[in-house]
Amino acid sequence: MNGIIEVENLRFGYLPHSEILKDISFKVKRGTFLAIAGPNGAGKTTLLNLLCGALVPQSGLIRIDSMPTESYGTEALAKKMAVVRQEFIPVFAFSVSETVLMARIPYYNSIGFEAEADKKIVSEALEATDTAQFAARTLANLSAGERQRVFIARALAQDTPILLLDEPTSFLDLKHQVGIYDLLKKMQQEYGKTIVAVTHDINLTIQYADEALLLGADSNYHIGKTNDVFSPQQIEKVFGVRTFTGKVGQENFFLPLGKFAKDNQIITRKPPSNQ
Amino acid sequence: MKELLTAKKLAVRTALALGILAGVMLVCSLIGTESVSLKAVFSTDTQKAVNPDYEIFVRVRLPRIVLAALVGAALASAGVVFQAILRNPLADPYILGISSGAGLGATIVVVSGLSWTLWGHSPIAVFAFVGALGTVLLVWFISRLTGKFHITGLLLAGVVVNAFFSSVIMFLTSVVKSQKVYATIFWLMGNMTEEGFLVLWLAAGCIVGGISALFYIGPQLNALSFTDDDARSMGVNPAKTRIIAFAAAAFITAIAVSLSGLIGFVGLVVPHSVRLIFGPDHRQSIPLSAIAGAIFLVIADTVARLIVAPAQLPVGVVTAIVGGPFFLILLVRCSKKVGWLK
Repeated sequence: MNGIIEVENLRFGYLPHSEILKDISFKVKRGTFLAIAGPNGAGKTTLLNLLCGALVPQSGLIRIDSMPTESYGTEALAKKMAVVRQEFIPVFAFSVSETVLMARIPYYNSIGFEAEADKKIVSEALEATDTAQFAARTLANLSAGERQRVFIARALAQDTPILLLDEPTSFLDLKHQVGIYDLLKKMQQEYGKTIVAVTHDINLTIQYADEALLLGADSNYHIGKTNDVFSPQQIEKVFGVRTFTGKVGQENFFLPLGKFAKDNQIITRKPPSNQ
Repeated sequence: MKELLTAKKLAVRTALALGILAGVMLVCSLIGTESVSLKAVFSTDTQKAVNPDYEIFVRVRLPRIVLAALVGAALASAGVVFQAILRNPLADPYILGISSGAGLGATIVVVSGLSWTLWGHSPIAVFAFVGALGTVLLVWFISRLTGKFHITGLLLAGVVVNAFFSSVIMFLTSVVKSQKVYATIFWLMGNMTEEGFLVLWLAAGCIVGGISALFYIGPQLNALSFTDDDARSMGVNPAKTRIIAFAAAAFITAIAVSLSGLIGFVGLVVPHSVRLIFGPDHRQSIPLSAIAGAIFLVIADTVARLIVAPAQLPVGVVTAIVGGPFFLILLVRCSKKVGWLK
C-alpha cells in the first residue's frame, strides 16, 4: 500500500559536502501518527521543512499523495498539509481569530474574503484548542503556551489531511502538553488525519505516536513502531546520555540522569541494558 | 468572531470615507485667497465672456486638490505596504531610497539648467520619476546580492544608497548658484502645483491601478506578517507576493514624488493612525489608508495655501507640523491596540 508521505533516498545539506540527511527513505501510511526525534542538530526540523516544501532536496524524492512535492503549487500544497512551527509574533497586532482565519486564505473568494463555511471551520478549531475564550485578544497579549495553541488552531482550520508540527509542546505546561497530544490523537482517530510531529518529549511520544523516526547525529536513522525504535539501548546510543528506563503500564519511560543527578547511583546499580 | 472584518463592513467604511473625502475636497476647493462660491461657479450668466469663479475653480483649485488627493493616497497606501513587507513599523515609502533618487533626478535638472520641455512641462518630473525607480531597482539588486531575501540587507542597502545620493545632492547644490539652490530646496520640501488635466488623468490611472493591485494582495500581505515559512504553509507564495507589493508600492510612490517632491510623514503617520483605529488587516488598512492619506494631504495643502497667503508654504512643512502632534495624540489614546509598543 502506498503511503500518504513517501520519502526516497533523500539527501540534504545546507553547505556543499556536509550533508545533514544522508539517504533517508521511509513511508508514512495514511492516518498514522509519526514522531520524529533525535538530538539537536540531527536534522529534525530540516526534514520537516523538506516535507512541507520550504526546502528543496539535493537529491531524492518526496511524494505527498503519490505526487512529488515540487509538482504542487504553494496553494495546492497548503490544502494537503498544515504546518505548526515554533512561534513568531508579528509586529502588527493581529487578533487570535484574525490569525486563525488566515488558514482559509487558499479558499478565499475572488475579492479576498472568507465565506460563512470558513468561519464555521475556524470557530470549531478555536473550540477544539480551547482558544475561543481569548479569540479577540492580540497575539502579543497571550502567554507563549496560549499562542502555541492558537497556531495549532490555525493548522486545524486549514482542514488538511496531513498535519506537520515542530515541537508543538515546547512552551506548554503539563496539562496543556497532554491536552495537545490528546487533541492530535483525536484528530488522527476521528478525522483520519496523518500527523508528523518533531518532538523532544520521548515519554509523551511513546504514549501517543504509532511510529517513530529516530535521527542520529551521525546520519543514521531508525524507523518503526515506537516501542521498537525507542529501546533503552538505542536512546542511550543516539542521545549519548545514560537513562533510567521504567515501565508505566504497557509502555516504557526514560529518565535521563546526569553525573550529579540525585538518583545517579540507581543507574550504576541497574544499568538499563540489564532490564 | 463578531468584530471580524467582513466584505460588507469594509464596503460601508470605504464608502463613508470616500464621502468624507469628497466633502473635504469640495470645501477646500472653495476656500483660498480668492473665495469662490459654488453658485457663482455654475452660474450661466452669459453677460460675461469669462466666469472668473469657474476659471479659478476648474483650472486652478480643482487640479491642485485632485493632485493632493492622489499623492496622499499613493504615499499612505505605499507606506502600509512597505511596513508590511519589511515587517517594520518604522518603514515609510522613502525608506528604500526613492526620495534621494527622485531628489537627485530633480537636482540634476535644476543644476544643469536644462531648458527643454516635454509637452510644455519642465523635465523635473520625468527625471525625478526615473531617478526614483532607478534607485529602488538598484537597492533591490544590491539586496539580492546579499542573499536569498534578507529584510536587513534590503533596509541597509536602502539606508546607505539614501545617504550616498543625499550627499551627492548636497554636493551639487553647494557648487551651484544660490538661485538654483533655492529651487532645489523648494522641490525637496515637497509642494503642490497646478498640473494639467492630461497629467492628472495619467497619474490617477496609475495610482488607482497600483492601489487596486495592493488591495488585491491584502490577504497575502496578512499572511506575510508572519514568517515566510508560515506564509508558505498557509498557501501564500512569499517571493511572488513581495515582488508584486514592492513593484506596485514603489511605482505609485515614484509617481507621487515626481509630481509633488518629497512630502514626508504621510506614509508613516496615516497607516499607523488607520491601524490604531481599525486594526492591522491589510484588506482594510490599504483602502482606508489611501483615502485617509488623500484627506490628510488635501487639508494640509489647503493650510499651506492659506496660512501665509498670498505666499505659500511647502506642503511638506505642514504635514509634519500638523501630523506629528495628531499622531502623538492617537498613539497615547489607542496604544493598547498596538502590538509593537510592547
